[in-house]
Amino acid sequence: MIKVVHYINQFYAGKGGEEMANIPPEKVKGFVGPGMAFNAAFGGEAEIVATVFCGDSYFNENKEAIDTVIDMIAEEKPDIVICGPAFNAGRYGVACGTVASEVKARLGIPTLTGMYDENPGVDMFKSKTIIMKTKDSAAGMRKAVAAMAPVALRMAKGEELGSAAAEGYFPTGIRKDLFEEKRGSERAVDMLLKKLAGEPFETEYPMPQFDRVQPNPAVADLAHAKVALVTSGGIVPKGNPDHIESSSASHYGKYDIDGVTVLTDKTYETAHGGYDPVYANADPNRVLPVDVMREFEKEGRIGELSHYYYATVGNGTAVASAKKFADTFSKELIADGVQAVILTST
Amino acid sequence: MIILTNNPDVETKLKDQNILRIDGTYRDVLVKARDLVHQGHRLLTHPLMGSLKPNETPYRTIAVSSEQGALDTDSLMLIENAIGTFDKFAQVTRPDRGVNTPERMLADFRMIDLSLITSALEGF
Amino acid sequence: MKLELGIIKITDIQFAAESKVEGSTLYVNKDELKALILEDETLASCELDIARPGESVRITPVKDVIEPRVKVSGEGGVFPGWMAKVKTVGSGRTNVLKGAAVVTTGKIVGFQEGIIDMCGEGAKYTPFSQLNNLVVCVEPVEGTLQHAYEKAVRIAGLKAATYLGKLAKDIEAGEIRTYETPSVSEGIKLYPDLPRVGYVLMLQSQGLLHDTYVYGVDAKQSLTTMIYPTETMDGAIISGNCVSACDKNTTYHHLNNPVIEDLYARHGKDLNFVGVIITNENVYLADKERSSDWSAKLCEFLGLDGAIISQEGFGNPDTDLIMNCKKIEAKGVKTVIITDEYAGQDGASQSLADADVAANACVTGGNANTVIHLPKLDKVIGHIEYVDKIAGGWSGSLQEDGSIIAELQVITGATNEMGFNKFSAR
Repeated sequence: MIKVVHYINQFYAGKGGEEMANIPPEKVKGFVGPGMAFNAAFGGEAEIVATVFCGDSYFNENKEAIDTVIDMIAEEKPDIVICGPAFNAGRYGVACGTVASEVKARLGIPTLTGMYDENPGVDMFKSKTIIMKTKDSAAGMRKAVAAMAPVALRMAKGEELGSAAAEGYFPTGIRKDLFEEKRGSERAVDMLLKKLAGEPFETEYPMPQFDRVQPNPAVADLAHAKVALVTSGGIVPKGNPDHIESSSASHYGKYDIDGVTVLTDKTYETAHGGYDPVYANADPNRVLPVDVMREFEKEGRIGELSHYYYATVGNGTAVASAKKFADTFSKELIADGVQAVILTST
Repeated sequence: MIILTNNPDVETKLKDQNILRIDGTYRDVLVKARDLVHQGHRLLTHPLMGSLKPNETPYRTIAVSSEQGALDTDSLMLIENAIGTFDKFAQVTRPDRGVNTPERMLADFRMIDLSLITSALEGF
Repeated sequence: MKLELGIIKITDIQFAAESKVEGSTLYVNKDELKALILEDETLASCELDIARPGESVRITPVKDVIEPRVKVSGEGGVFPGWMAKVKTVGSGRTNVLKGAAVVTTGKIVGFQEGIIDMCGEGAKYTPFSQLNNLVVCVEPVEGTLQHAYEKAVRIAGLKAATYLGKLAKDIEAGEIRTYETPSVSEGIKLYPDLPRVGYVLMLQSQGLLHDTYVYGVDAKQSLTTMIYPTETMDGAIISGNCVSACDKNTTYHHLNNPVIEDLYARHGKDLNFVGVIITNENVYLADKERSSDWSAKLCEFLGLDGAIISQEGFGNPDTDLIMNCKKIEAKGVKTVIITDEYAGQDGASQSLADADVAANACVTGGNANTVIHLPKLDKVIGHIEYVDKIAGGWSGSLQEDGSIIAELQVITGATNEMGFNKFSAR
């Protein structure tokens, strides 16, 4: 009998919604919630031996949560670990993706999760674990289980999966060899006819994504403009009050620098885990140039420096997450009357 | 035009040209070309010319413009992609290629590099 | 323009006292053909050998593969500019020795690759393992420079193929395949409702050992231009490319261009196959700009709705491919590109040296970095000492039992970028 451990969040464990999102990891024997459907779908070939669950907020805010979860899973010696599915729930998706990829990396056990296309967890983890495509809400649970269960069984048996398109998971970015039914030229003609007819077609090699943004025209009157600083270099008030992760950041911080003329090693530091922090910690202005901006402000070269700066860590952070951050704080910047932003990275 | 090369044959045969000799590897030539692109020079020849893979031939020659202008983004994209491609191939080392290539084969690599750059620059 | 191909099936090649085609066997008088090849004063020696499907034979380093053909009627002769006058070909009837090929080998440079295995794992990846191959192995006289030797091997292959082709001139072919392309205006009248589709055929043209010739002209020195699809079937385009075995378009590929065959298969039914645009892959960046501008301009000029773009080689040609794709799409012409990949041995690296969002419809001939295990074979035709060099795919690739672990890129035609094979990647 194939042994399965299932990871879910507080909601699917029946503990409650957002108000219970802070509960730490727990483990129970057997299945809980959606695990019942999985067990049924395994058709007697596999069984959920234990279910591990954790509050989404707790998981994302406590670095040690993953270690606890991994220990709980390791004790069961499972043949496969199924996480979620998380549908379009962002924090749950990140938790499922983290558990699935860490279990695979640390324990060498195959893992499987499921998410909706727009879940930020997809971009963050699709190269690290198999993520099956699901609908955007729990209404798609039955379909998701029907798709995930057989794939999980085959993975547990050590079988090679087919292509992403054939199996219904998000392309991992790992290229797999295969022999097609038709030769390339014939596939090209078929593809072209579909493209010409406006029918859906599937490219065999999706081009790497380029998200090009046209720069705005230059600020005409910088001397009267309100300028803000935004950094992906991880400069945060000493102690990192918002617990921005040193890599794969799941959020950003907004910090008041009203009256701050220079950042010092006593008051600021970097949370970034992707570069040698010595020089940034010794003089955080090297990454977030508050000192120079204040000089410019004094000299009248800029109108004023905005009271707030925004910071996150750009180390392995998913493009989808970064986009989400910017979507939110851009609105605040506009509301604050900011006319120009200087983005610094590392 | 400036010709960046680590191929001594190019230096000898194209001595009438403005040669910038790079004492280093294929990658060093790419990096130097990138530095020049950063300074506003344009690439004139493709940094990955020839079908020899970057982990096969140790020689590389690239022509860039002598004139400097605003940053040429096409050149920048090309050279950055080329360095990325080089690094990808560098992960696979070949025992009798690259630095360990026997001299007779090295001569062939130099000859190919020279002939490619010569035919590219015909008429200039 | 209309061409009939007379298909004469060949299932075996034998050396014999008289060169002839009898039934489905091709008989070759070794001495006569050798003497013909050795008329070239650049060449000191010539060896002929036969490699049949399923035999425990490895051919290496392969330079070119050529299908024997002969003009039965119509203007010009096969391989115009080389074996015949430069008269326009592509009409009338041409006989084809289907199932036979001339394979040339020669150690032109020390790093040449190109393996054809007639059996075992390697045979799965090269289409030439399915053919009866007459292998021509020539050595130059002392002191011959590489470019002269390359030319001599190239000509030797064309000579041998022409010699064999002529044996079939008077044979009534069992099967006739007809290909016809009307003029542009006729095509519009004939198929007013079908999408107009063209084929942009990119030719390797980077320089020595990386050249392609059209009617004898080095493609490097040509502007982007047009030809009738049937011209390629009479050898209007030949390969002078010896580098990058897996994704080089041999002369055999040009004669049997799969994109042209498959576009013809749907011609008049699902699409109107208007013609072939040939363009080059030069090293000089201004040449790339000009050539891709012209490809796009000709697509527009012909009023195409769609185009298939095929490639040859790695790195530098990726840039031409993407430039062609971008510019043709910008003219409102829908494209599909055919390429291959260098995604690393684990398949995790970025596949192409260049990329663009416009290239949203891509067919791939597979990952050339894929690792394969080639068994030890009984016989090597060509230069056995090079097997060691080729075996140096990376450290430790030559096994104690004489087998070879190497990347797919050493196999001739394995990841062809005209879409000749079924091998692919997702």
